[in-house]
Amino acid sequence: MQLISPSATETEVKSERPPASPARSRIRRASIILLFLLPSVILYTVLVVVPIIQAAYYSLFRWDGLEPLVNFVGLHNYLLAFSNPVFLETFAHNLLIVALSLCIELPFALLVSLVIGKKLPGGMIFRAIFFMPFVISEVIAGVIWQFIYRPDGGLLDAILQALNPHFQGGLWLADPRITLICIFVVIVWKYFGLYVVLYTAAIQNVPDEIVEAARVDGATGLQVTRYITIPLLGTTIRLSILLSVLGSLQIFDIIYVMTHGGPIHASEVFATYLITYGINAFAMGYGSAIGVVMFLTCFVFALMYQRFAMQRDVASSIAMQEA
Amino acid sequence: MKRREFLASMGGLVLASPLAISACGNTSTGSTTGNQKVTINWWFLDGQAKQNADWQNVAKQYMKAHPNVTIKTTIIENQAFKQKLATVMQAGQPPDIFHSWGGGILFNYAKAGLVKDLTPDLQGGWGDSFSQSALNVYAQNGHNWGVPWDMGGIAFYYNKDLFAKANITQLPTTWSQFLQVVQQLKSAGITPIALGEGDKWPGHYWWAYLATRIGGKAGFDAAATQQGAGFASQPFVEAGQRLQELIALKPFQKGFLGAVYNDEITAMGTGKAAMELMGQWAPAADEGQVPKGKTLNLGFFPFPMVEGGAGNPNDVFGGGGGYAVGKNAPQEAVDFLKFFTSVQVQRAFGKAGYLTPVVKGASDALTNPLLRDVQNMVAHAPYFQLYYDQYFPPAIANAVLDGTQALYAGTTTPQAVAQQVQAAAATALQGS
Amino acid sequence: MYALVQQRRFAQRRIIQKSVPLIPRYIICVAVAIFVLVPMLVAILGGFRTNADLNSAPFALPNPWHFENFAGIVTQPVFWLSFWNSLVVTVATVVLLLAISCPAAFVFARMDFPGRQMVFNFLLIGFLFPFAMAILPLYIMLRGLGLLNTLQGVILTQVAFGVPATVLILRNFFWAIPRELEDATYIDGGTPVDFFWHVLLPLARPALAVIAMLTMVASWNNFLLPLLTLGDQSTWTLPLGIMQFQTEHLTDWAAIMAYITLCMIPAIIFYLLAERYLVSGLTTSGALRG
Repeated sequence: MQLISPSATETEVKSERPPASPARSRIRRASIILLFLLPSVILYTVLVVVPIIQAAYYSLFRWDGLEPLVNFVGLHNYLLAFSNPVFLETFAHNLLIVALSLCIELPFALLVSLVIGKKLPGGMIFRAIFFMPFVISEVIAGVIWQFIYRPDGGLLDAILQALNPHFQGGLWLADPRITLICIFVVIVWKYFGLYVVLYTAAIQNVPDEIVEAARVDGATGLQVTRYITIPLLGTTIRLSILLSVLGSLQIFDIIYVMTHGGPIHASEVFATYLITYGINAFAMGYGSAIGVVMFLTCFVFALMYQRFAMQRDVASSIAMQEA
Repeated sequence: MKRREFLASMGGLVLASPLAISACGNTSTGSTTGNQKVTINWWFLDGQAKQNADWQNVAKQYMKAHPNVTIKTTIIENQAFKQKLATVMQAGQPPDIFHSWGGGILFNYAKAGLVKDLTPDLQGGWGDSFSQSALNVYAQNGHNWGVPWDMGGIAFYYNKDLFAKANITQLPTTWSQFLQVVQQLKSAGITPIALGEGDKWPGHYWWAYLATRIGGKAGFDAAATQQGAGFASQPFVEAGQRLQELIALKPFQKGFLGAVYNDEITAMGTGKAAMELMGQWAPAADEGQVPKGKTLNLGFFPFPMVEGGAGNPNDVFGGGGGYAVGKNAPQEAVDFLKFFTSVQVQRAFGKAGYLTPVVKGASDALTNPLLRDVQNMVAHAPYFQLYYDQYFPPAIANAVLDGTQALYAGTTTPQAVAQQVQAAAATALQGS
Repeated sequence: MYALVQQRRFAQRRIIQKSVPLIPRYIICVAVAIFVLVPMLVAILGGFRTNADLNSAPFALPNPWHFENFAGIVTQPVFWLSFWNSLVVTVATVVLLLAISCPAAFVFARMDFPGRQMVFNFLLIGFLFPFAMAILPLYIMLRGLGLLNTLQGVILTQVAFGVPATVLILRNFFWAIPRELEDATYIDGGTPVDFFWHVLLPLARPALAVIAMLTMVASWNNFLLPLLTLGDQSTWTLPLGIMQFQTEHLTDWAAIMAYITLCMIPAIIFYLLAERYLVSGLTTSGALRG
């Protein structure tokens, strides 16, 4: 995915009909381009870009959202944020979720995809099942898992107690030490299906001939997977990493619905912190600064990732374009 | 040809408003009195289903008597309400009538010019009908920014059957007696206290009450005006220490740190916990959660005195509910409020147990003995303190809420909490 | 010659025997499927039980099956109103999003002009913007445009935020359409618009279906945006209704389960209908080519 244009130049073959009269067709062409582009670009600019720029502007002020915007404090809000232990804890939580996703969720999805492989009979049904949680709303998912995690009679307690009569019953979401892990389980439940779909689709593209050739050469199933399938999945894996990291940094609904970021900030992430201590606390400047930090984190990551990890993918897609 | 059609269809898509929306779309704007059609947006808090219905009936009655007025109600849950109100306020679009607890947050809105000044309307009969201490919760510097319809105090509601089961014969009047009661309950295998600390505000009641008992009015006023050590002064530190004595006994229900207030209601209603420190709406709320076929016998006792405290044992910490009027609201909104706070409505709701009346002539309508106890308590209080999380501007409120939650979780010390609150106060109060 | 073929066949048989055995694979798939389905079944089955049942034996089948929870909900006009609102918003979002994104993607894919890459990157930056950050300025913007408290406001905002991903997927997809088809159109005397409308779009169905499905899901489930911009309860969408319902029914978990089941079903139906396009749409869209 080309996020930011690398230095590579694209030379795309222009395929338009031979101009009948140069000036008129230039105008015509320009008007098509404008007409086709304008609605989306305008809507996007007005409702996405302008508010974000405004928010960044607010971040330089101390403002409660009610009085006029006069109290310019420069980067003070940013200093406040980075010297606030709760915010730093929040940052750490986001990074933890990123790490957990990369180390657990993605490999899990990959494993499942490899198990389904290309030809497992009924594999498509399984994939359809795995994707289903992605489709239901975060609010619903939160409610269901709240019921499961309920201390004193929730489903999880009931299951564990059935398995082990000595089990005392856990606190789950109410326990600051494990609430983030419990939430992570829900995150995996809800989103891993997306990655399974991506991976299985890519696995379909692994050419049979190569696999057969390897088999003929005596490779075992595992060796085929390791030396052929996974490398061919490279582009998809890299893409899934990008999506996963960005998603982890921006995660909101599911945590907000289940724990509001609590207890005592144990599950606080950027977005919940922004809402609770920015917007709801009438500290709009501070909240906007948090938002800017969120954005910059995503931006820096995306930029570096694209430059270092996805350079090959970008280059090859350009090459394919020129072909 | 084709292109034009294409453009037309795209244009149509972009500009057309989807189907049945226009009817619902418009918010009301200020309008004059008279017989033109007027719409009032009324935001009130979500109660139990029956309570919501009764509330809406008041609107219906008014609409019947005033056919040109339409009242649109928005019923919204407590936490979501705070969220939504914050947003609409910051965008400068206050609802016409909205719930308010008074105190610093309301006054912030007033300062920003978002709330209608009700002082002129309250001159005369309407203003006189209210209990003055209740009305004052919504007043600042001689201006009235809202009217109350409920004012009570926080106290203990306890399950009489569970207390009997633990052989508790005397209700505690001092803090050490209270701790003993807690221990007795624990030995009898009963969860002593229901607390929904996940929402943070229920827990801060304990800390605030302890501070009120220990420091009294003098202590609070000194801190609020930033004299001496402000909120880092002794009463607030000791409040934390006393609270820790209680927390050490582990008296709360399982998972209380993540539990919300609704869970507290359930714990009380289903008899899973013996008592709660809550406001005057608690009996009605708990009642709503009692399983069919069972009964809940609730009793009442006020917050005990702390030995050696400088406060008066009759001081009350609490609050109630009221409504404020948005700056753009039509005059009919104020008129409706007059109806809502009229004696008949107050009596009806008092009888139903939804509120503790604040209007003269309605106080004896209370049939629920628990609410009568609350009323007595409030009436005889030399000093009445509004909930900290409403009284203070949000920055201080958050410091209190977060600090007390950390105390419950055992991750902080009483001194640290007091200092946190003081730091927030120093920054927030310096400007005003 | 025949010997070589024989050798090949023999090797192939060995290959089959050497591939990873099926049974462990099925075990894994079934185990994961259980993990995925149980929570959803809890919700669906929970709606058919009473609260007392749920409290005493959380993990059991309904016995007997109670229908009053569902009946109680579907007889309330408020439920259907929020359902309708969600439906209107979702359909309008999908239609509008596709209507403005397809042309834009076409231009990016097939027509060159100065600054094309810049504009495209400009659109892509939208991926990095956290919605939470934009709430207040967005609110003010909507207010200024008179779109507050309207479903149009929700629709337009959702479309605006959906533009980056949609344009990206579509552009990559359009890249994949063979050049020859385009040339053929021009040779026949067609304009780029003709190509776009008559050739490209019909071929793009898988990608359109994927985007429609993903957008439908996102819109149907969107919570924060409607919460903050819709004040009037008659405009509320389904997720807001859930929040309301949950508060009013506190711990009547059975009723809550019934409610969320009713909300889940449409989303699942959308999904099952469009599922077969999902993989083909994502594959050929070149999302995997980067």
